[in-house]
Amino acid sequence: MKILLIEDEPELRKSVKQYLYQEGFLVESANDYQSASEKVNEYEYDCILIDITLPKGSGLDIVKQLKQKNSKAGVIIISAKNSIDDKITGLDLGADDYLPKPFELAELNARIKALIRRRNFGGNTSIVVNEIIISTDERTVKVNNELVQLTTKEYDLLLFFISNKNRVVSKNSIAEHLLGDNSDQMDNHDFIYVHLRNLRKKLAEKGCEDYVQTIYGIGYNFKVS
Amino acid sequence: MKLITKTILYFLAVSIPLVALCLFLGFHLVNKELEDATEEALWKEKLNAEKLIEGGAVDFILYLSTDSLSKVVETTTVTTGDVYKDSVIYDRFEEEDLPYRILESNMSANGKSYLIFIARTTLEHDDLMESLLKAFGLLLGFLLLTFFALNWILSKTLWKPFYKTLNELKKYDLHANTVVALESTSTKEFKQLNQSLNEMMEKIQSDFQQQKEFTENAAHEMQTPLAVIKANIGLLMQSPNLKQEEMEQLQSIDNTARKMSSLNKALILLAKIENNQFKENVKLSAKEIVSKVLQHYEDALSGKEISVENNITTDINFKLNPALADVLITNLVQNAIRHNFKGGKIRIETKVNSLIISNTGEPLNIKAEDLFVRFKKNYASKESLGLGLSIVKSIVDSFDHTIGYTYENNMHKFSVNFG
Repeated sequence: MKILLIEDEPELRKSVKQYLYQEGFLVESANDYQSASEKVNEYEYDCILIDITLPKGSGLDIVKQLKQKNSKAGVIIISAKNSIDDKITGLDLGADDYLPKPFELAELNARIKALIRRRNFGGNTSIVVNEIIISTDERTVKVNNELVQLTTKEYDLLLFFISNKNRVVSKNSIAEHLLGDNSDQMDNHDFIYVHLRNLRKKLAEKGCEDYVQTIYGIGYNFKVS
Repeated sequence: MKLITKTILYFLAVSIPLVALCLFLGFHLVNKELEDATEEALWKEKLNAEKLIEGGAVDFILYLSTDSLSKVVETTTVTTGDVYKDSVIYDRFEEEDLPYRILESNMSANGKSYLIFIARTTLEHDDLMESLLKAFGLLLGFLLLTFFALNWILSKTLWKPFYKTLNELKKYDLHANTVVALESTSTKEFKQLNQSLNEMMEKIQSDFQQQKEFTENAAHEMQTPLAVIKANIGLLMQSPNLKQEEMEQLQSIDNTARKMSSLNKALILLAKIENNQFKENVKLSAKEIVSKVLQHYEDALSGKEISVENNITTDINFKLNPALADVLITNLVQNAIRHNFKGGKIRIETKVNSLIISNTGEPLNIKAEDLFVRFKKNYASKESLGLGLSIVKSIVDSFDHTIGYTYENNMHKFSVNFG
């Protein structure tokens, strides 16, 4: 899987690259409009992450350029300008997703994976982790071939864990994932524990192993060997 | 007090004593002239009478006038000299008492003493005086009337540009971001006034704009460094050898970065509302938004065991930007949850054009009027940024709605009026 990261802030470029690399992605980067434009012209990517404010140009023009050449790449806009206008313009121009800065790496990772899944229409949209099979088209979960009835939040939580499997995900990033833009309006994250407890119970009822490790103080790790 | 009222009052304050003084002086001068004239006439008659006496024409009594009032009488008193006095004498023809000026003079001639008694009515004087005063009063009244009329006309014409400017200024709203166009006039002072005001408004407007842009830009600029911090926390978290204590430190950094990012978002939102960047005005249903927001806060509500009484039976419709309507109701509901007791209550109802959200909770420890002020918050609330209600107020204000707060029956009550 090849990803192009267009971002002018070197520190952010570095850490995003590192995180995605650990996820097994091949990550290339561009730090200004010109080099980004050249790269999207010359190479094919599975996913392109674009910052809107770039030196020497706008990321939105890159989105336009990709649309013109009928690129198959999924496009996620990463912007410091969390404005509805930018979001709408970006999505209208053909971007698939919009992630405002500052974002959680786990969230970015989950969004990239979801995007790549959606892009592979022909391929299999099921995610298989040992005895768990998630069909993302139907939003269903099977354990040992038995359907597990999950609530929306439990399903989102499981998918988020699996997208970031073998990773420590913080409670903050889970909250952000489950609640979206308004996560910072919640005073505490106790509710995550409630959903997680229910999820664990439902999975265990169908004979699923408990993969979720609690990392005290910070979050959880969905550990799959 | 109106300018014209003040002018007139000043005029009256000066003119009333002046008029009184003029009347007083005029009255006395004319009176004196008249008296002198009368006395001269009396004196001339007296001379005439003396000639008659010296000519021996007087025998005991001589009437000098047909009405028998002026006369020469022989007397035994031997004095000389003139005495003038006023008196009232009954007039048989007019059948009333009439004012008279009288000259009594004693003289001796031909070895006899005589009293000369000459009377002259001053009735004409009084009439003259009255007419004079009337004329005087009329003139003054006319002058006053002219002055009022002139003042009124002046304030309507000369001061017109001033009132126009005043009206324009009243309409001026810094937040509206429109410069008031003050018309130029031919009056130098008003021209200067308008010019100065125009310059001042432009300066204020540009300063204000810059300040607002600064807030928004500064907040935007901070998002990227925050993204770097968060990304690095995300990476560091993956390190396999972290001790629990280090994990907790990471968590603390993460929470702080998150809080700062929320603060940024709130500031950007405020700046945008105040910049009128949310123009779209759509008819919305309170009922729909409330139930959407309540659903969103399901977890927080059950976590704090708060019961919600959703009493919206008749829906109300109002016009607002849809995104801001969400923020408005979200912030109010969040506020009601945040400052509530565990096991408390939230009541949501509609009344005519108002949406009312009440919640149980500790009484305010800040002044009620500070509730909507930025960064003023209940000391106990460490999670609060102190911006939620300021954002609510901003939204309500920029769409010409109103919000009120009361504390009734141990409940905090926020009511938004969309009327």
